Amino acid sequence: MSELVHIDGVPRERPSPAEVARIAFNLTVVCLLGGVVLGGVYVGTERIEAAGRLAGERRALGELLSLREGEPLLVVEQSLDAAHDAVVYRASTWGDEHGAAREQAFTLDGTPRSSAPGEVRTLTPLGRMFVAGTPAAPRGFVLEGESRGYKNRIRFFVALDAQFTVCGVRVLEHEEDPGLGAEVATRAFLGQYLGRDSASIARLDVTRDPLPEDWRAALAALANTEPGPWQQAHAALLARESAQPVHAVTGATISSRALTSGVKRTIEHFRRRWALVRPWLEGTS
Amino acid sequence: MSAAPTLPVEQPPGAWALLVNGIVHENPVFRLALSLCPAVAVTTTVANGIILGIAVLAVQVLSSVTVTLARNAIHPRVRIPVYTIIIAVWVSAIDMALAAFAPALYAQVGLYVKLIVAFAIIISRLEVFASRQPLVPTFFDGLGMGLGFLVALVLIGAVRELLGAGALLGFTVLPVRPLLFFALPAGGFFTIALLMAFFQYLERRGGGKPRAASAGGGHHG
Repeated sequence: MSELVHIDGVPRERPSPAEVARIAFNLTVVCLLGGVVLGGVYVGTERIEAAGRLAGERRALGELLSLREGEPLLVVEQSLDAAHDAVVYRASTWGDEHGAAREQAFTLDGTPRSSAPGEVRTLTPLGRMFVAGTPAAPRGFVLEGESRGYKNRIRFFVALDAQFTVCGVRVLEHEEDPGLGAEVATRAFLGQYLGRDSASIARLDVTRDPLPEDWRAALAALANTEPGPWQQAHAALLARESAQPVHAVTGATISSRALTSGVKRTIEHFRRRWALVRPWLEGTS
Repeated sequence: MSAAPTLPVEQPPGAWALLVNGIVHENPVFRLALSLCPAVAVTTTVANGIILGIAVLAVQVLSSVTVTLARNAIHPRVRIPVYTIIIAVWVSAIDMALAAFAPALYAQVGLYVKLIVAFAIIISRLEVFASRQPLVPTFFDGLGMGLGFLVALVLIGAVRELLGAGALLGFTVLPVRPLLFFALPAGGFFTIALLMAFFQYLERRGGGKPRAASAGGGHHG
Protein backbone atom coordinates (compact mmCIF):
# COMPACT_ATOMS: atom_id res chain seq x y z
CA MET A 1 0.00 0.00 0.00
CA SER A 2 1.64 3.21 -1.07
CA GLU A 3 -1.39 5.47 -0.78
CA LEU A 4 -0.82 8.27 1.74
CA VAL A 5 -3.29 9.85 4.15
CA HIS A 6 -2.60 12.96 6.18
CA ILE A 7 -3.00 12.75 9.92
CA ASP A 8 -2.17 16.00 11.75
CA GLY A 9 -0.53 17.19 8.54
CA VAL A 10 1.89 14.25 8.50
CA PRO A 11 1.66 11.86 5.55
CA ARG A 12 1.20 8.27 6.58
CA GLU A 13 0.48 5.04 4.82
CA ARG A 14 -3.17 4.08 4.62
CA PRO A 15 -3.67 1.15 7.01
CA SER A 16 -4.51 -2.17 5.42
CA PRO A 17 -7.96 -3.71 6.11
CA ALA A 18 -6.28 -6.32 8.28
CA GLU A 19 -4.70 -3.62 10.39
CA VAL A 20 -7.99 -1.73 10.67
CA ALA A 21 -9.59 -4.95 11.84
CA ARG A 22 -6.84 -5.45 14.42
CA ILE A 23 -7.31 -1.91 15.72
CA ALA A 24 -11.07 -2.38 15.96
CA PHE A 25 -10.58 -5.69 17.76
CA ASN A 26 -8.09 -4.06 20.11
CA LEU A 27 -10.49 -1.28 21.06
CA THR A 28 -13.40 -3.68 21.42
CA VAL A 29 -11.46 -5.92 23.81
CA VAL A 30 -10.35 -2.91 25.88
CA CYS A 31 -13.93 -1.65 26.17
CA LEU A 32 -15.27 -5.09 27.04
CA LEU A 33 -12.66 -5.63 29.74
CA GLY A 34 -13.30 -2.13 31.07
CA GLY A 35 -17.00 -2.91 31.23
CA VAL A 36 -16.33 -6.10 33.16
CA VAL A 37 -14.14 -4.27 35.70
CA LEU A 38 -16.69 -1.50 36.18
CA GLY A 39 -19.55 -3.98 36.49
CA GLY A 40 -17.61 -5.93 39.10
CA VAL A 41 -16.80 -2.84 41.15
CA TYR A 42 -20.39 -1.62 40.91
CA VAL A 43 -21.77 -4.92 42.16
CA GLY A 44 -19.19 -4.95 44.94
CA THR A 45 -19.81 -1.40 46.18
CA GLU A 46 -23.50 -0.84 45.47
CA ARG A 47 -24.79 -2.45 48.65
CA ILE A 48 -22.25 -0.67 50.86
CA GLU A 49 -23.06 2.66 49.27
CA ALA A 50 -26.78 2.09 49.72
CA ALA A 51 -26.23 1.19 53.38
CA GLY A 52 -24.17 4.36 53.84
CA ARG A 53 -26.87 6.47 52.21
CA LEU A 54 -29.50 4.92 54.46
CA ALA A 55 -27.42 5.65 57.55
CA GLY A 56 -26.99 9.24 56.37
CA GLU A 57 -30.74 9.60 55.88
CA ARG A 58 -31.42 8.14 59.28
CA ARG A 59 -29.03 10.64 60.87
CA ALA A 60 -30.57 13.55 58.95
CA LEU A 61 -34.08 12.47 59.96
CA GLY A 62 -33.06 12.06 63.59
CA GLU A 63 -31.60 15.56 63.67
CA LEU A 64 -34.38 17.27 61.74
CA LEU A 65 -37.13 15.75 63.87
CA SER A 66 -35.09 15.55 67.12
CA LEU A 67 -36.01 11.88 67.31
CA ARG A 68 -35.30 9.99 70.49
CA GLU A 69 -33.38 6.74 70.29
CA GLY A 70 -35.71 4.01 69.06
CA GLU A 71 -38.68 6.34 68.52
CA PRO A 72 -40.83 4.93 65.73
CA LEU A 73 -41.17 6.91 62.52
CA LEU A 74 -43.94 6.42 60.02
CA VAL A 75 -42.80 6.51 56.41
CA VAL A 76 -45.24 6.98 53.56
CA GLU A 77 -43.90 6.27 50.08
CA GLN A 78 -45.76 8.15 47.41
CA SER A 79 -45.78 7.03 43.81
CA LEU A 80 -47.63 8.07 40.72
CA ASP A 81 -49.70 5.53 38.81
CA ALA A 82 -49.95 7.58 35.63
CA ALA A 83 -52.04 5.05 33.69
CA HIS A 84 -54.86 5.28 36.24
CA ASP A 85 -54.45 8.95 37.19
CA ALA A 86 -53.80 7.92 40.76
CA VAL A 87 -51.24 8.39 43.51
CA VAL A 88 -50.43 5.27 45.50
CA TYR A 89 -49.46 5.64 49.17
CA ARG A 90 -47.64 2.90 51.00
CA ALA A 91 -47.17 3.32 54.73
CA SER A 92 -44.76 1.40 56.94
CA THR A 93 -42.52 1.88 59.93
CA TRP A 94 -39.12 3.34 58.97
CA GLY A 95 -36.27 0.86 59.06
CA ASP A 96 -38.61 -2.10 59.45
CA GLU A 97 -38.53 -3.61 55.95
CA HIS A 98 -40.26 -6.82 56.96
CA GLY A 99 -42.99 -5.15 58.98
CA ALA A 100 -46.56 -4.74 57.82
CA ALA A 101 -47.06 -2.17 55.07
CA ARG A 102 -50.45 -0.88 54.05
CA GLU A 103 -51.31 0.64 50.76
CA GLN A 104 -54.00 2.93 49.44
CA ALA A 105 -54.46 4.70 46.13
CA PHE A 106 -56.27 7.98 45.58
CA THR A 107 -57.23 9.36 42.19
CA LEU A 108 -55.99 12.85 41.39
CA ASP A 109 -59.36 14.36 42.37
CA GLY A 110 -59.05 12.75 45.79
CA THR A 111 -61.36 9.74 45.75
CA PRO A 112 -60.03 6.44 47.09
CA ARG A 113 -59.37 3.90 44.41
CA SER A 114 -59.02 0.15 44.76
CA SER A 115 -57.09 -1.65 42.09
CA ALA A 116 -58.65 -4.47 40.10
CA PRO A 117 -57.03 -7.88 40.72
CA GLY A 118 -54.19 -8.63 38.30
CA GLU A 119 -53.99 -5.02 37.20
CA VAL A 120 -50.59 -3.95 35.85
CA ARG A 121 -49.27 -0.70 37.34
CA THR A 122 -46.20 1.32 36.49
CA LEU A 123 -45.26 3.38 39.53
CA THR A 124 -43.07 6.49 39.44
CA PRO A 125 -41.71 7.46 42.86
CA LEU A 126 -42.83 10.90 44.08
CA GLY A 127 -40.65 10.97 47.18
CA ARG A 128 -41.41 9.93 50.74
CA MET A 129 -42.91 11.66 53.71
CA PHE A 130 -41.87 10.84 57.27
CA VAL A 131 -44.22 11.42 60.18
CA ALA A 132 -43.02 11.62 63.78
CA GLY A 133 -45.67 11.03 66.42
CA THR A 134 -48.98 9.54 65.37
CA PRO A 135 -51.13 10.49 62.37
CA ALA A 136 -53.76 11.80 64.79
CA ALA A 137 -51.24 13.90 66.73
CA PRO A 138 -48.20 14.43 64.52
CA ARG A 139 -45.13 15.99 66.13
CA GLY A 140 -43.37 16.85 62.90
CA PHE A 141 -42.85 15.87 59.29
CA VAL A 142 -39.92 15.41 56.95
CA LEU A 143 -40.66 15.53 53.23
CA GLU A 144 -38.34 14.24 50.58
CA GLY A 145 -38.22 16.35 47.46
CA GLU A 146 -36.14 16.94 44.42
CA SER A 147 -35.68 19.69 41.93
CA ARG A 148 -33.76 20.15 38.72
CA GLY A 149 -30.61 22.12 39.59
CA TYR A 150 -28.07 23.78 37.34
CA LYS A 151 -26.38 20.49 36.45
CA ASN A 152 -28.25 17.59 37.92
CA ARG A 153 -31.06 16.98 40.34
CA ILE A 154 -30.93 18.43 43.84
CA ARG A 155 -32.40 16.03 46.38
CA PHE A 156 -33.41 17.47 49.73
CA PHE A 157 -35.36 16.98 52.96
CA VAL A 158 -37.77 19.63 54.27
CA ALA A 159 -38.76 19.40 57.93
CA LEU A 160 -42.07 20.88 59.07
CA ASP A 161 -43.52 21.13 62.54
CA ALA A 162 -47.12 20.16 63.30
CA GLN A 163 -48.33 23.60 62.12
CA PHE A 164 -46.50 23.17 58.77
CA THR A 165 -43.87 25.79 59.62
CA VAL A 166 -40.46 25.02 58.14
CA CYS A 167 -38.04 23.95 60.85
CA GLY A 168 -35.21 22.70 58.67
CA VAL A 169 -34.07 22.07 55.11
CA ARG A 170 -31.20 19.80 54.25
CA VAL A 171 -29.68 19.09 50.83
CA LEU A 172 -28.88 15.40 50.54
CA GLU A 173 -27.46 15.21 47.06
CA HIS A 174 -26.44 17.76 44.48
CA GLU A 175 -23.84 18.35 41.79
CA GLU A 176 -23.83 22.14 41.71
CA ASP A 177 -20.56 24.02 41.17
CA PRO A 178 -18.33 24.31 44.24
CA GLY A 179 -18.15 27.89 45.46
CA LEU A 180 -21.24 28.90 43.47
CA GLY A 181 -24.34 26.70 43.27
CA ALA A 182 -23.00 24.40 45.96
CA GLU A 183 -23.49 27.26 48.43
CA VAL A 184 -27.23 26.51 48.44
CA ALA A 185 -26.42 23.40 50.49
CA THR A 186 -24.81 25.44 53.29
CA ARG A 187 -26.54 26.04 56.58
CA ALA A 188 -26.29 29.79 56.04
CA PHE A 189 -28.34 29.64 52.83
CA LEU A 190 -30.81 27.03 54.10
CA GLY A 191 -31.35 29.14 57.22
CA GLN A 192 -33.37 31.49 55.05
CA TYR A 193 -36.19 28.93 54.92
CA LEU A 194 -36.43 28.53 58.70
CA GLY A 195 -39.55 29.74 60.44
CA ARG A 196 -41.59 30.36 57.30
CA ASP A 197 -45.19 29.23 57.69
CA SER A 198 -47.17 27.57 54.93
CA ALA A 199 -48.83 30.82 53.83
CA SER A 200 -45.51 32.58 53.38
CA ILE A 201 -44.05 29.51 51.65
CA ALA A 202 -46.86 29.61 49.09
CA ARG A 203 -45.83 33.18 48.18
CA LEU A 204 -42.11 32.47 48.38
CA ASP A 205 -39.93 34.09 45.74
CA VAL A 206 -36.20 34.53 45.09
CA THR A 207 -34.47 37.89 44.83
CA ARG A 208 -31.01 38.83 43.62
CA ASP A 209 -30.83 41.76 46.05
CA PRO A 210 -27.94 41.47 48.48
CA LEU A 211 -28.62 40.23 52.00
CA PRO A 212 -29.09 42.95 54.62
CA GLU A 213 -25.95 43.08 56.74
CA ASP A 214 -27.57 42.07 60.07
CA TRP A 215 -29.36 39.13 58.39
CA ARG A 216 -26.15 38.00 56.73
CA ALA A 217 -24.33 38.02 60.07
CA ALA A 218 -27.15 36.07 61.72
CA LEU A 219 -27.14 33.44 58.96
CA ALA A 220 -23.36 33.10 59.14
CA ALA A 221 -23.68 32.34 62.86
CA LEU A 222 -25.93 29.41 61.97
CA ALA A 223 -22.85 27.49 60.80
CA ASN A 224 -22.04 26.57 64.40
CA THR A 225 -25.38 26.99 66.18
CA GLU A 226 -28.28 24.55 66.25
CA PRO A 227 -31.38 25.80 64.41
CA GLY A 228 -33.62 25.68 67.50
CA PRO A 229 -31.63 28.02 69.79
CA TRP A 230 -30.68 30.13 66.76
CA GLN A 231 -34.35 30.74 65.93
CA GLN A 232 -35.03 31.85 69.51
CA ALA A 233 -32.01 34.15 69.56
CA HIS A 234 -32.97 35.85 66.30
CA ALA A 235 -36.76 35.84 66.65
CA ALA A 236 -37.18 39.52 65.73
CA LEU A 237 -34.95 39.27 62.68
CA LEU A 238 -36.73 36.08 61.55
CA ALA A 239 -40.11 37.75 61.86
CA ARG A 240 -38.89 40.58 59.66
CA GLU A 241 -37.17 38.36 57.09
CA SER A 242 -39.80 35.64 56.75
CA ALA A 243 -41.93 38.18 54.88
CA GLN A 244 -39.04 38.76 52.48
CA PRO A 245 -38.04 36.61 49.51
CA VAL A 246 -35.07 34.23 49.65
CA HIS A 247 -31.82 35.97 48.72
CA ALA A 248 -30.09 34.07 45.93
CA VAL A 249 -26.45 33.04 46.22
CA THR A 250 -24.44 35.58 44.21
CA GLY A 251 -23.71 34.10 40.81
CA ALA A 252 -25.95 31.11 41.40
CA THR A 253 -29.46 32.39 40.85
CA ILE A 254 -30.47 29.25 38.93
CA SER A 255 -29.46 26.91 41.76
CA SER A 256 -31.13 29.17 44.34
CA ARG A 257 -34.37 29.31 42.35
CA ALA A 258 -34.26 25.56 41.71
CA LEU A 259 -34.03 24.70 45.39
CA THR A 260 -36.60 27.32 46.42
CA SER A 261 -39.18 26.22 43.88
CA GLY A 262 -38.51 22.61 44.85
CA VAL A 263 -39.11 23.34 48.53
CA LYS A 264 -42.24 25.31 47.71
CA ARG A 265 -43.66 22.60 45.44
CA THR A 266 -42.84 19.83 47.90
CA ILE A 267 -44.66 21.61 50.72
CA GLU A 268 -47.68 22.46 48.57
CA HIS A 269 -48.03 18.86 47.39
CA PHE A 270 -47.64 17.65 50.95
CA ARG A 271 -50.44 19.91 52.27
CA ARG A 272 -52.86 18.54 49.69
CA ARG A 273 -51.77 14.92 50.16
CA TRP A 274 -51.71 15.05 53.94
CA ALA A 275 -55.35 16.15 54.02
CA LEU A 276 -56.09 13.08 51.92
CA VAL A 277 -54.00 10.42 53.62
CA ARG A 278 -54.35 11.52 57.23
CA PRO A 279 -57.88 10.07 57.71
CA TRP A 280 -56.77 6.87 56.00
CA LEU A 281 -53.64 6.58 58.20
CA GLU A 282 -55.67 7.28 61.33
CA GLY A 283 -58.22 4.66 60.35
CA THR A 284 -55.70 1.91 59.72
CA SER A 285 -53.06 2.43 62.38
CA MET B 1 4.30 16.73 26.84
CA SER B 2 7.45 18.79 26.58
CA ALA B 3 7.92 18.38 30.31
CA ALA B 4 7.85 14.62 30.06
CA PRO B 5 11.06 13.31 31.50
CA THR B 6 13.00 10.68 29.64
CA LEU B 7 14.51 7.91 31.65
CA PRO B 8 16.92 5.45 30.06
CA VAL B 9 14.83 2.79 28.38
CA GLU B 10 17.39 -0.01 28.46
CA GLN B 11 18.28 -0.12 32.14
CA PRO B 12 15.48 0.93 34.50
CA PRO B 13 16.70 2.24 37.88
CA GLY B 14 16.07 0.32 41.08
CA ALA B 15 12.87 0.48 43.09
CA TRP B 16 14.15 2.91 45.70
CA ALA B 17 15.58 5.26 43.06
CA LEU B 18 12.23 5.26 41.26
CA LEU B 19 10.33 6.10 44.45
CA VAL B 20 12.67 8.97 45.33
CA ASN B 21 12.55 10.15 41.74
CA GLY B 22 8.75 10.41 41.85
CA ILE B 23 8.60 12.07 45.25
CA VAL B 24 11.55 14.48 44.96
CA HIS B 25 13.49 14.78 41.71
CA GLU B 26 10.52 14.57 39.37
CA ASN B 27 7.73 15.46 41.76
CA PRO B 28 4.68 15.82 39.49
CA VAL B 29 3.57 19.14 40.97
CA PHE B 30 6.76 20.84 42.16
CA ARG B 31 9.19 19.64 39.50
CA LEU B 32 7.13 18.69 36.43
CA ALA B 33 4.44 21.35 37.06
CA LEU B 34 1.69 18.96 35.92
CA SER B 35 -1.92 18.91 37.14
CA LEU B 36 -1.66 22.28 38.85
CA CYS B 37 -5.37 23.06 38.47
CA PRO B 38 -6.58 20.27 40.77
CA ALA B 39 -3.58 20.90 43.02
CA VAL B 40 -4.93 24.41 43.59
CA ALA B 41 -8.62 23.54 43.57
CA VAL B 42 -8.76 20.87 46.27
CA THR B 43 -5.95 21.84 48.62
CA THR B 44 -7.80 24.29 50.86
CA THR B 45 -7.48 21.64 53.58
CA VAL B 46 -5.10 18.77 54.33
CA ALA B 47 -7.93 16.21 54.42
CA ASN B 48 -9.02 17.05 50.87
CA GLY B 49 -5.43 16.80 49.69
CA ILE B 50 -5.03 13.39 51.31
CA ILE B 51 -8.12 11.87 49.76
CA LEU B 52 -7.48 13.22 46.26
CA GLY B 53 -3.81 12.21 46.58
CA ILE B 54 -4.79 8.66 47.53
CA ALA B 55 -7.21 8.49 44.60
CA VAL B 56 -4.50 9.68 42.18
CA LEU B 57 -2.01 7.23 43.68
CA ALA B 58 -4.42 4.33 43.19
CA VAL B 59 -5.32 5.35 39.65
CA GLN B 60 -1.67 5.87 38.69
CA VAL B 61 -0.52 2.50 40.00
CA LEU B 62 -3.48 0.58 38.56
CA SER B 63 -3.24 2.26 35.15
CA SER B 64 0.54 1.87 34.93
CA VAL B 65 0.35 -1.79 35.85
CA THR B 66 -2.48 -2.42 33.38
CA VAL B 67 -0.59 -0.71 30.56
CA THR B 68 2.68 -2.50 31.22
CA LEU B 69 0.94 -5.88 31.30
CA ALA B 70 -0.93 -5.15 28.08
CA ARG B 71 1.83 -3.16 26.36
CA ASN B 72 2.52 -5.79 23.71
CA ALA B 73 -1.16 -6.21 22.88
CA ILE B 74 -1.98 -2.52 22.46
CA HIS B 75 -1.85 -1.38 18.85
CA PRO B 76 0.52 1.63 18.65
CA ARG B 77 -1.89 3.60 16.45
CA VAL B 78 -4.62 3.62 19.10
CA ARG B 79 -2.46 3.62 22.22
CA ILE B 80 -3.62 7.06 23.42
CA PRO B 81 -7.36 6.20 23.22
CA VAL B 82 -6.62 2.87 24.89
CA TYR B 83 -4.70 4.58 27.69
CA THR B 84 -7.58 7.01 28.13
CA ILE B 85 -10.09 4.16 28.42
CA ILE B 86 -7.87 2.36 30.93
CA ILE B 87 -7.54 5.51 33.05
CA ALA B 88 -11.27 6.19 32.81
CA VAL B 89 -12.11 2.66 33.96
CA TRP B 90 -9.86 2.89 37.00
CA VAL B 91 -11.05 6.40 37.85
CA SER B 92 -14.67 5.24 37.75
CA ALA B 93 -13.81 2.22 39.88
CA ILE B 94 -12.02 4.38 42.48
CA ASP B 95 -14.88 6.87 42.34
CA MET B 96 -17.43 4.17 43.18
CA ALA B 97 -15.20 2.70 45.88
CA LEU B 98 -14.71 6.09 47.56
CA ALA B 99 -18.43 6.85 47.38
CA ALA B 100 -19.09 3.55 49.14
CA PHE B 101 -16.33 3.52 51.75
CA ALA B 102 -15.71 7.21 52.53
CA PRO B 103 -19.00 9.00 51.78
CA ALA B 104 -18.29 12.02 54.00
CA LEU B 105 -14.94 12.77 52.37
CA TYR B 106 -16.31 11.87 48.95
CA ALA B 107 -18.94 14.57 49.33
CA GLN B 108 -16.09 17.10 49.58
CA VAL B 109 -13.87 16.02 46.69
CA GLY B 110 -16.13 13.77 44.59
CA LEU B 111 -16.22 16.23 41.75
CA TYR B 112 -12.43 16.30 41.45
CA VAL B 113 -12.07 12.53 41.64
CA LYS B 114 -13.93 12.24 38.33
CA LEU B 115 -11.53 14.78 36.83
CA ILE B 116 -8.53 12.51 37.45
CA VAL B 117 -9.29 11.09 33.99
CA ALA B 118 -7.83 14.27 32.52
CA PHE B 119 -4.80 14.58 34.82
CA ALA B 120 -1.74 15.02 32.62
CA ILE B 121 0.58 13.27 35.06
CA ILE B 122 -1.15 9.90 34.71
CA ILE B 123 -1.21 9.60 30.94
CA SER B 124 2.32 11.01 30.70
CA ARG B 125 3.64 8.22 32.96
CA LEU B 126 1.83 5.65 30.84
CA GLU B 127 3.33 7.02 27.62
CA VAL B 128 6.81 7.71 28.98
CA PHE B 129 7.33 4.80 31.32
CA ALA B 130 4.70 2.07 31.55
CA SER B 131 4.45 1.43 27.82
CA ARG B 132 8.21 0.68 27.62
CA GLN B 133 9.17 -0.93 30.90
CA PRO B 134 8.47 -4.28 32.56
CA LEU B 135 6.09 -4.76 35.47
CA VAL B 136 8.27 -4.21 38.54
CA PRO B 137 9.92 -0.88 37.61
CA THR B 138 6.57 0.34 36.26
CA PHE B 139 4.88 -0.45 39.56
CA PHE B 140 7.48 1.52 41.51
CA ASP B 141 7.41 4.39 39.03
CA GLY B 142 3.61 4.62 39.40
CA LEU B 143 3.89 4.34 43.17
CA GLY B 144 6.60 7.02 43.30
CA MET B 145 4.69 9.44 41.08
CA GLY B 146 1.45 8.85 42.98
CA LEU B 147 3.22 9.37 46.31
CA GLY B 148 4.88 12.48 44.89
CA PHE B 149 1.47 13.89 44.01
CA LEU B 150 0.06 12.91 47.41
CA VAL B 151 2.98 14.52 49.25
CA ALA B 152 2.63 17.67 47.15
CA LEU B 153 -1.12 17.96 47.86
CA VAL B 154 -0.62 17.38 51.58
CA LEU B 155 2.16 20.00 51.75
CA ILE B 156 0.12 22.58 49.84
CA GLY B 157 -2.96 21.74 51.89
CA ALA B 158 -1.02 22.05 55.16
CA VAL B 159 0.36 25.49 54.28
CA ARG B 160 -3.00 26.76 53.08
CA GLU B 161 -5.06 25.32 55.94
CA LEU B 162 -2.57 26.61 58.52
CA LEU B 163 -2.30 30.10 57.09
CA GLY B 164 -5.85 30.40 55.75
CA ALA B 165 -7.86 28.81 58.56
CA GLY B 166 -5.35 28.53 61.42
CA ALA B 167 -6.01 24.79 61.55
CA LEU B 168 -4.50 21.47 60.53
CA LEU B 169 -6.60 18.44 59.58
CA GLY B 170 -9.63 20.33 60.85
CA PHE B 171 -8.18 20.97 64.35
CA THR B 172 -7.66 24.60 65.23
CA VAL B 173 -3.99 25.06 66.10
CA LEU B 174 -3.63 28.84 65.87
CA PRO B 175 -5.76 31.34 67.79
CA VAL B 176 -6.18 33.47 64.64
CA ARG B 177 -6.50 33.02 60.91
CA PRO B 178 -3.16 34.56 59.89
CA LEU B 179 -3.69 35.06 56.15
CA LEU B 180 -7.16 34.29 54.86
CA PHE B 181 -5.79 34.96 51.37
CA PHE B 182 -4.13 31.54 51.32
CA ALA B 183 -7.49 29.77 51.40
CA LEU B 184 -8.43 31.43 48.10
CA PRO B 185 -7.39 30.03 44.69
CA ALA B 186 -4.77 32.75 44.13
CA GLY B 187 -3.21 31.84 47.48
CA GLY B 188 -2.99 28.26 46.19
CA PHE B 189 -0.82 29.38 43.29
CA PHE B 190 1.40 31.38 45.63
CA THR B 191 1.77 28.35 47.90
CA ILE B 192 2.74 26.15 44.96
CA ALA B 193 5.25 28.72 43.72
CA LEU B 194 6.87 29.02 47.15
CA LEU B 195 7.07 25.25 47.61
CA MET B 196 8.38 24.86 44.07
CA ALA B 197 11.14 27.34 44.83
CA PHE B 198 11.93 25.39 47.97
CA PHE B 199 12.20 22.14 46.02
CA GLN B 200 14.42 23.89 43.48
CA TYR B 201 16.65 25.07 46.31
CA LEU B 202 16.88 21.54 47.75
CA GLU B 203 17.79 20.17 44.35
CA ARG B 204 20.56 22.72 43.86
CA ARG B 205 21.99 22.09 47.29
CA GLY B 206 21.86 18.35 46.69
CA GLY B 207 23.98 18.90 43.59
CA GLY B 208 21.23 17.94 41.16
CA LYS B 209 20.83 19.91 38.02
CA PRO B 210 18.29 22.72 38.28
CA ARG B 211 15.52 22.50 35.75
CA ALA B 212 13.03 24.91 34.34
CA ALA B 213 10.15 23.58 36.38
CA SER B 214 7.62 25.55 34.37
CA ALA B 215 8.48 23.81 31.12
CA GLY B 216 4.88 23.79 29.94
CA GLY B 217 2.24 21.31 30.91
CA GLY B 218 0.74 23.48 33.62
CA HIS B 219 -2.28 24.05 31.48
CA HIS B 220 -3.18 20.37 31.54
CA GLY B 221 -6.09 19.44 33.73
